[in-house]
Amino acid sequence: MREAQEGSGAAMARLYSLHWRRAYRAAYLVVHDATAAEDIAQDGFLAAVGALDRFDRRRPFGPWLHRIVVNRALDWARREALRRKVAREQSVFEPLPPPHEVSGEMVAALKELPAEQRAVVVLRHLLEYTPGEIAEMLELPRGTVNSRLRRGLDRLRETAREELDAEVGQ
Amino acid sequence: MRDEALRKALRETAVPVPAEAERRGLQVVEAAYAERPAPRGRRREGRRPALPRLVLAFSIATLLTALLLSPAGAAVRDWVGEVVGSSAPKPEPGLSEIPGGGRLLVQSAVGPWVVQPDGSRRRIGDYDEASWSPRGLFVAAAKGRALSALEPDGTPHWSVTADARVRQPRWSPSGFRIAYRSGRSLRVVAGDGTGDRLVNPDTAPVAPAWSPFGTPEVAYVNAEGQLRIADSEMSASRSGAPPDMAGAVAGRDVRQIEWGAGGRLILEVSPGGLHLQGMRLNKLEGRSEFRRRTALAIPAGATVVDAALAPRHPLAAAVVTHWRSAGTRSAVVVYGPKKRDPRRLLSVPGSLGEVAWSPDGKRLLVAWPGTNEWLFLPVGRGEGRAVAGVSNAFAPGGRKSSFPRVEGWCCGR
Repeated sequence: MREAQEGSGAAMARLYSLHWRRAYRAAYLVVHDATAAEDIAQDGFLAAVGALDRFDRRRPFGPWLHRIVVNRALDWARREALRRKVAREQSVFEPLPPPHEVSGEMVAALKELPAEQRAVVVLRHLLEYTPGEIAEMLELPRGTVNSRLRRGLDRLRETAREELDAEVGQ
Repeated sequence: MRDEALRKALRETAVPVPAEAERRGLQVVEAAYAERPAPRGRRREGRRPALPRLVLAFSIATLLTALLLSPAGAAVRDWVGEVVGSSAPKPEPGLSEIPGGGRLLVQSAVGPWVVQPDGSRRRIGDYDEASWSPRGLFVAAAKGRALSALEPDGTPHWSVTADARVRQPRWSPSGFRIAYRSGRSLRVVAGDGTGDRLVNPDTAPVAPAWSPFGTPEVAYVNAEGQLRIADSEMSASRSGAPPDMAGAVAGRDVRQIEWGAGGRLILEVSPGGLHLQGMRLNKLEGRSEFRRRTALAIPAGATVVDAALAPRHPLAAAVVTHWRSAGTRSAVVVYGPKKRDPRRLLSVPGSLGEVAWSPDGKRLLVAWPGTNEWLFLPVGRGEGRAVAGVSNAFAPGGRKSSFPRVEGWCCGR
């Protein structure tokens, strides 16, 4: 981080290599759209570049990036839901081909969750943040995070019970 | 199933990360990193000579002008007849390519950006406004009282300082002149930054429009609201400005004029309507003359937000908005060469912004600030595309910002 702040392009590239995949995966699991995930992860890094000089080196880079990425992914998912309502009003254009989707039961089960629940589940169980950290990232009360997490897990469990049981050997 | 098992399953969920996406992301991030203000000042690399490029621009523009004067339109009439319409396409989250190719010049709150066909973008300075040269080899940019010519990567070639704030620079199709407004006056400077001269001291706040015939004629709206044509190379009168060659009464409150590529029409855009001013080139005298002026039908009660003439075909596109008690609704309409009744391409709730034609005249870019999107709409058959997250894409660091304005959609490179 220090080298990137001092102008080393190679250091910036290393930072990117270290964090890109996790950022992309987190975004994908919230939005379920590969192109959107790419753009959101990219935006997260652009925000990082823009704020590089102001970044406090004593703090870890990952949580800061994930906060941006997951918030943008949530914005995208909410807006997409709104768009679907608008699109129903009139539909004349031929539909675009469906985006490439990642297969897998867990991904399918996650997709069934509301975006808000998806985001906290991804932050908690994929990126392994504590509920307190998630509350800070999403600017939510901690109780809201806990309830979304609980509801999300319950629904995930219902949706994916059999498959997951098989996967984890239970 | 226990939470721990669920967590394990989540961690092990396979989400392939496309290598292409990773590579593209790295390119964008590296470009943004290279553009950020360096901790210890960096200098731009050396400038390239302007003259060969200007000569090339002139040659290509001359060829293009010859092509544009040839009849075109039958195919386009067919497209218009088949126009579908009218809800917005599903948005894509970012601009991974410009549908139909070409490059965009986009003005954001922090300056103009050039967007390449692959969607990569670069801010070219902190100028207040900018416009393409005819073949996109240069950009004319204004900041305060300065007018500058830049390469599309932001490398400046020259700069002139006017007496008052510079606005609305417009490069002539020949590439040899730039018209611009400075305060209330209209001025013209050569494409190499020399020979700056007054054209009219008192004009309306409307961007000038060059003749596509290749003559040094420039159309503008004077302070009395008249559409005028001036020869930017004629000798100055006692007022210091060359005498106008022709004039016609423009519509009320004209905000924008555009001289069509065929040279036969000037489009006048005002909130209350659209008019086409017929034009003819008097070949004996080498100057343009006004002909009949006609109104284009717009929906009753609608307000015109923006309009543009197609670059290669006798088509006009407009964005109109209705404010009703049930809510604002906007539409994109296209006017064909003969039937003046518009065909609706798109109708959406809320307000739409500016409209720009693709260089090949087959698509429209329409801004939709309310949803933070650009819509790329085919004029004929084909699917529309929408790109989301536009304002973030043109803000340093991807932060939220005001919605940018598309200043031009230019030729590929």
